[in-house]
Amino acid sequence: MWGIDRRLFQNFDWTLFFLVFSLVAIGIVNLISSTHSSAGLSEEVRRQLLSLGIGCVGLVATVAIDYRHFERFAVPIFVTSLLLLAATLVLAPVTRGSQSWLFGGRLQPSELVKIALVLMLARFFQRNPPGEIRRVRDLIRPLGIAGLPVALIVLQRDTGVALLTVLVASTYLAFVRIPWRGWAGVSLIGVAGFAAMWFFFLAPYQQNRILDVVDPGRDPLASGYQVIQSRIAVGSGGLLGKGWVEGTQSQLQFLPTQHTDFAFSVLAEEWGFLGSSVVLSLYALMLLWGLFIARNSKDAFGAMLAIGVVGILFWPAVLNVGMVLGILPVIGVPLPLFAYGGSALVTALLAVGLLMNVSLRRYVF
Amino acid sequence: MIRPDDTARGRLGAGVDASVEDRLPLLVVVILLVFGAFIVRLFQLQIIMGEVFAEESDKNSVRLVRLEAPRGDILDREGRVIATTRPAFGLQVLPSDLRNPDLAFRALSQLLGEDATGLREQVGEARGRARFQPVRLAGDLSYDRLASVESHLYALPGVMTDVRPRRDYVGADLAAHVLGYLGEVHRSQLETRDYVGYHAGDVIGQAGVEALEQSHLRGRDGGRNVVVDVRGRVVDVLDEEDPVTGGSVTLTLDLDLQRIAEEAFQPDVIGEPPKMGALVAMDVNTGDVLALVSKPSYDPNAFAGGVSAVIWKELTTDEWKPLQNRAISGQYPPASTYKAIVAAAALQERVITPGGLVYCPGHFTLGRRTYGCWKKEGHGSMSLRDALVQSCDVYFYQAGLKLGIDRLAFFARGFNLGRRTGIELPSEQPGLIPTAAWKERRFSEPWGAGETVSASIGQGFDLLTPLQLAVAYAAIANGGRVVRPHLVLRTQDPDGRIEEGLAPETVSTVPVSPENLAIVRDALTGVVEEPRGTGGRARVPGMPVAGKTGTAQVVHLQHTKDLEEDEVPIKYRDHAWFVAFAPVDAPQIVVAVLNEHGGHGGSAAAPIAQRVLARWAEKHLPAAQVAELKTEASHVGD
Repeated sequence: MWGIDRRLFQNFDWTLFFLVFSLVAIGIVNLISSTHSSAGLSEEVRRQLLSLGIGCVGLVATVAIDYRHFERFAVPIFVTSLLLLAATLVLAPVTRGSQSWLFGGRLQPSELVKIALVLMLARFFQRNPPGEIRRVRDLIRPLGIAGLPVALIVLQRDTGVALLTVLVASTYLAFVRIPWRGWAGVSLIGVAGFAAMWFFFLAPYQQNRILDVVDPGRDPLASGYQVIQSRIAVGSGGLLGKGWVEGTQSQLQFLPTQHTDFAFSVLAEEWGFLGSSVVLSLYALMLLWGLFIARNSKDAFGAMLAIGVVGILFWPAVLNVGMVLGILPVIGVPLPLFAYGGSALVTALLAVGLLMNVSLRRYVF
Repeated sequence: MIRPDDTARGRLGAGVDASVEDRLPLLVVVILLVFGAFIVRLFQLQIIMGEVFAEESDKNSVRLVRLEAPRGDILDREGRVIATTRPAFGLQVLPSDLRNPDLAFRALSQLLGEDATGLREQVGEARGRARFQPVRLAGDLSYDRLASVESHLYALPGVMTDVRPRRDYVGADLAAHVLGYLGEVHRSQLETRDYVGYHAGDVIGQAGVEALEQSHLRGRDGGRNVVVDVRGRVVDVLDEEDPVTGGSVTLTLDLDLQRIAEEAFQPDVIGEPPKMGALVAMDVNTGDVLALVSKPSYDPNAFAGGVSAVIWKELTTDEWKPLQNRAISGQYPPASTYKAIVAAAALQERVITPGGLVYCPGHFTLGRRTYGCWKKEGHGSMSLRDALVQSCDVYFYQAGLKLGIDRLAFFARGFNLGRRTGIELPSEQPGLIPTAAWKERRFSEPWGAGETVSASIGQGFDLLTPLQLAVAYAAIANGGRVVRPHLVLRTQDPDGRIEEGLAPETVSTVPVSPENLAIVRDALTGVVEEPRGTGGRARVPGMPVAGKTGTAQVVHLQHTKDLEEDEVPIKYRDHAWFVAFAPVDAPQIVVAVLNEHGGHGGSAAAPIAQRVLARWAEKHLPAAQVAELKTEASHVGD
């Protein structure tokens, strides 16, 4: 079971390791600045370091188990994560309008479920190669697999995470071979599904949340203000930035949720165009390296798994950076590996562990 | 390690599907395009427009001003305003912008007429981030003060005035217990599903209709993103969204009746303490609550701008509990008002007949105990009608004993006593209707026959609220329907959409035949209209009234028997009850009055009900009849 092998060390993926941990390290340096006060290291920094420790343990554990065992256990893992999601619906107290935390706020199953979903979909596409999917009706089963957790997350009123989960699952659509008429059909199903939810499932406040996403000007108190302040923060960074702990926008607390959703604007303000381009490039390289791992994987499951992990890391980055730069509407999605948030960091590191797993075993037969 | 069968299933060694490999470049392109676009955007914001934004961030830049939405109005059934919103002028200090704090606080102390050191303490020694948080020093300046502050603002950087909507209860404590009050949203509330979209510091309805209709009354806050200069003055408005006033709520209350009812609780003689207790006036057919009074009361205006700790402490520690809504959550022994229920039950169970006579010698002996009638010399021979009119205790002792406690409880519950009426307000109490089984459970003792004797004149364990009594008598008046009392007639949201409140609802039908109810109604008419009736002081010229008095003992007689009536400490004095409905031939309104520690029902409660009934008659009876009634009244006055 424990597939630790000398070759694993010989083949260690230093590139992935370097890319991931430089992002995490820059994120923590940035967190120290955005939560800076005279009282020394903030509680947030301490917690983030603790989460990093937990995440690393999780990463090592994930790498140690041959990923092909994950294929065998994909179904029980998926079912368990769904049960956990359902349990939050029943058990967890409602906090701040969404009830996705379990066990005293330490576990957020909607984060973990993305990994379980990717395992499940990778297993599905290994058995039904996406290149052979030529009819829309062949998509019904994967759609059902993705629909279950999405429905549960919507019920928890975590619309941002629900959207993310849909996007992660949609990554696999790049590989199916359905004709353009089929694509029209898929879009139609999407629109119809959304309309049905809108009218039958969503309460008015949930509809408002989505409308706020479509039109942030609806609520200038929250999102409009954030967009303006974030743009000023980013723009005023200039070429080289104002320097670490010197960002006026962030240090004077003009930026709301600056250590979570708007962590990247703090970076852009303090490190300027140079610093933020470097971080974006590191991120892009990490994603491209993930695709490289997928290509070199020795089997279809590994490839599909790697692609899913790339999706897990790609989509929130798109939504977050797009929001910070004022291109996309405000959805509370933090930048993976970089922003503050224990559950998110641990999940991202577990996902990286799967990627590393596929990478290390590319020569192991 | 990997088993051989995995090899087949996992296509081990087959490498990556060619079709997958084909599409990987597509993903590479997507990633490059997206991140390329991000970097282009960064270049645009930071390099091309960097100067502009740098300047904007330098000069204090943008502040978000929240435009608080005014709360919607609360109206009476005729559209008259009970609660509205008015502008209130406030004064804030931004510590980071105070150039010369000593000078500023001295100036402010003169302008506001307050102590400079006190003001300074309120602002405190703000450090770090707190320096950028404005501190509110005054919330509701008079126009004069506002004018003098405004004219000195130019010399006081860091001092700002603002206008905020403030709740205004037009009639001060008028209908206070119906309206409730406002307060800051609690931390615990923010964590529940009902308060999604609220923020710490938001002011919401915390009691009464204000809480009940919070979602209708709250408006939608607006906001304004403004560019301010170094002194905090607005130099440009970037964008703005107007606040939307909340929807209005129309209550079933009739302000005319509410006003007269509250007035009736004023002391009869100047210098006496105000009366305490509760009053409910209700439409007997629809359950519309026309007036609801609870005394002592409070002025919800004191809460409108955040209640001061002093006032709150006063209200919550007051011996007479002014925050309690006695009409729905005060539980009292029903005393003789209960006799109408006993009469209906006894008639229905045929343990008495309308014509059957009972002799009252002034007392009643059961075993070794003797129970007195309130009239020590005795009433003589009593029919059912005589017994209700003169409120003879001995008649009902016997009727109650023949029924037994469980049958009596069955009928009391049939009149919806002992359970909540279902009015929209929270914190309604269910009262208590005892049964033998209840006593066994509660005290592990069997029910005694003597307790039935007490229960039949409403002096046992029985407890009910004034609202329950009104509902029970409404059922007697309307032919047996138990209606659900309600307060909200309709609501109107900001877009003008109207939503009707709870429709009139018959909760149940009493287990008494219409004929028997008619007999009880006839006797209750005698209580008010006959010379020997105990409720004569509720008479309204021109409109026959039916009703019943009650005098509830608060403590056992031994505490008070040696004292003259006005020497008894207030808290040991009897509660005075009166409940009435009118007009007798086609009843429309029921009024239940409890004068807490007021003394006798006939003298202390009936006159209060009379004023409400008279006002109702003036409004609802034909003009000719009213004129006639007024002249008659003036004769009575002579």
